[in-house]
Amino acid sequence: MLIEIRNLTKQFRKGDETITPLHDVTLDIDRGEFVSLMGPSGTGKSTLLNQIAGIDRPDSGTVTVAGTEITRLSRSRLARWRAEHVGYIFQTHNLIPVLTAYENVELPLLLLPFDRAERRRRVQIALEAVDLVDRADHYPRQLSGGQEQRVGIARAIVADPTVVVADEPTGDLDPATSEQILDLLQRLNRELGTTLLMVTHDAQAAAIANRQLRLDNGQILEIEHSLESVSSQTERH
Amino acid sequence: MLKFLPYILKTLWRHRARTLLTFSGAAVSLFVFCFVVALQEGLDRLTSQSDSTLVVFQANKFCPATSHLQQDYDQVISKLSGVREVVPIQVFTNNCRASLDVVVFYGVPPKKLRSVRDFELTAGSWAEFETNQDAGVVGQAVARRRKLKPGDRFSIGEVTVTVAGIFASQNKAEENYIYTHLEFLQRTPGLNLVGTVTQHEVVLDPSADPSHVAAQIDERFRGGPIQTDTRTKGTFQAASLADLVDLIGLTHYLGYACLGLMAVLILTTNFMSVQDRIREHAVLQTMGFSGELVFSLIMIESVLLSFAGGATGILTAVTVLANAGIAVSAEAVSLALTPSISLAVIGLLLSIAIGVLAGMLPALTAARTEIVPALRAA
Repeated sequence: MLIEIRNLTKQFRKGDETITPLHDVTLDIDRGEFVSLMGPSGTGKSTLLNQIAGIDRPDSGTVTVAGTEITRLSRSRLARWRAEHVGYIFQTHNLIPVLTAYENVELPLLLLPFDRAERRRRVQIALEAVDLVDRADHYPRQLSGGQEQRVGIARAIVADPTVVVADEPTGDLDPATSEQILDLLQRLNRELGTTLLMVTHDAQAAAIANRQLRLDNGQILEIEHSLESVSSQTERH
Repeated sequence: MLKFLPYILKTLWRHRARTLLTFSGAAVSLFVFCFVVALQEGLDRLTSQSDSTLVVFQANKFCPATSHLQQDYDQVISKLSGVREVVPIQVFTNNCRASLDVVVFYGVPPKKLRSVRDFELTAGSWAEFETNQDAGVVGQAVARRRKLKPGDRFSIGEVTVTVAGIFASQNKAEENYIYTHLEFLQRTPGLNLVGTVTQHEVVLDPSADPSHVAAQIDERFRGGPIQTDTRTKGTFQAASLADLVDLIGLTHYLGYACLGLMAVLILTTNFMSVQDRIREHAVLQTMGFSGELVFSLIMIESVLLSFAGGATGILTAVTVLANAGIAVSAEAVSLALTPSISLAVIGLLLSIAIGVLAGMLPALTAARTEIVPALRAA
């Protein structure tokens, strides 16, 4: 199992009130799965995603990714772990405005022991994957919303991470562009075997995943596990 | 760290107006600081001159215009034990008070000038100076300020001199003086000073005790028509510049204030820059940038800004100090403001130190940012 979540609880204080978006959550995700996580706003979808991405810590419970219990890592080791294992796709793209598309995609590779030639090769592949090679020298302000999100996706996959997490990746896009982005994510999962966990509140978007989960009252409900994971298919062939 | 340089430079250029203003502020601060240090160094050079030269002045007189010693005192002084040479000097200046454009004439016996000064002519000839009664050799700082060259004639008050040469000296203060024939200056219309001089400069043997010889000279003329006050040249010059010494002491605080201002300016810029990029730093940390790395990036930004601004200010100050020939004079003693390696090195080190200090707090703030709240911010 690639991701093992055990008895995860996370609470927030809001004034005098204590909110528990995750309550004793247990979940397994296999390598190569494309998992969507649905639920109304404020139910803790992003909180769960952030636990798996290692940018937030639970109050109790454990998260183990590829054999590493990340909830036990120190702040600096967790940063190193994120650089090597996580690709994060944001709802609002969050590209660095002063860097070109190429430089934005290259940024995560600067943290890894790659020389310039290897970085160039990987950025080229990532930009090809999102069909934006011709926009490599453009700055974010010169790109459309959809193109920005594709650069964000290229940045998330460029280091070939263990898991890619996407937080409402189509939340800021029009329907046509959203469809293109969802197709792209599906293609990444099918063709490259990327393990994907996508948070969305859009049922249509969630439906493209081969496993759909719902978060309600701090608990995970499995809605559908309609397709086999890429790794299972690969093993069979 | 080099691979992050494009990001750092582009980040600095992102708010170019703010960056350029901070850069300019740092440059101006270090420019002023360099002038303050140059002033202090100039004073130190003047007052720490070798003890082996004494200046004999009229007792209880402070302005060269009021000191009148007998010229033949040199005969008496030269016979004292430990005295190598005595040079009678007539001083004429257009202004006894502190000023930035004082012209000081030193009238000396022409044959003695080269033996008691280390001057090197950069233009003109010694022969021309020694053979023409109204000739003068001009320090290159004065020549630059007054745009003088060999062959020019110029007048200050009743004194009209022909420039026979322009000289350079290891002692930059000397480059603010004009040397003429002693007799020529004594015969200046309206002065009628033949037979008297302003002071005697006494060069001692290396083994001589300056205070003992000074006491002997003053003792020798005690009770005579004109009493003397003899001091080492450094002490004499410090006394002449006494009012300025206190003022220069105060300029220290101006220098420190400039550095403080620069630190506050860079600190403010750093804080604004970090506040603007709370979300961006959270994105970088999400990608795997550690807190330490974010800290380092901001520190480098801060040091680069401080160093670039500071270095520009220092370079400008050094260029101005080297070429403008600036000097502050009082009582016919000039304090030359000149650049030095120590001045540049101190300035550069302070620029780096200020960059480090001003970057520390903003960098720590950014490095300790909690990722999730920062991503939700803005």
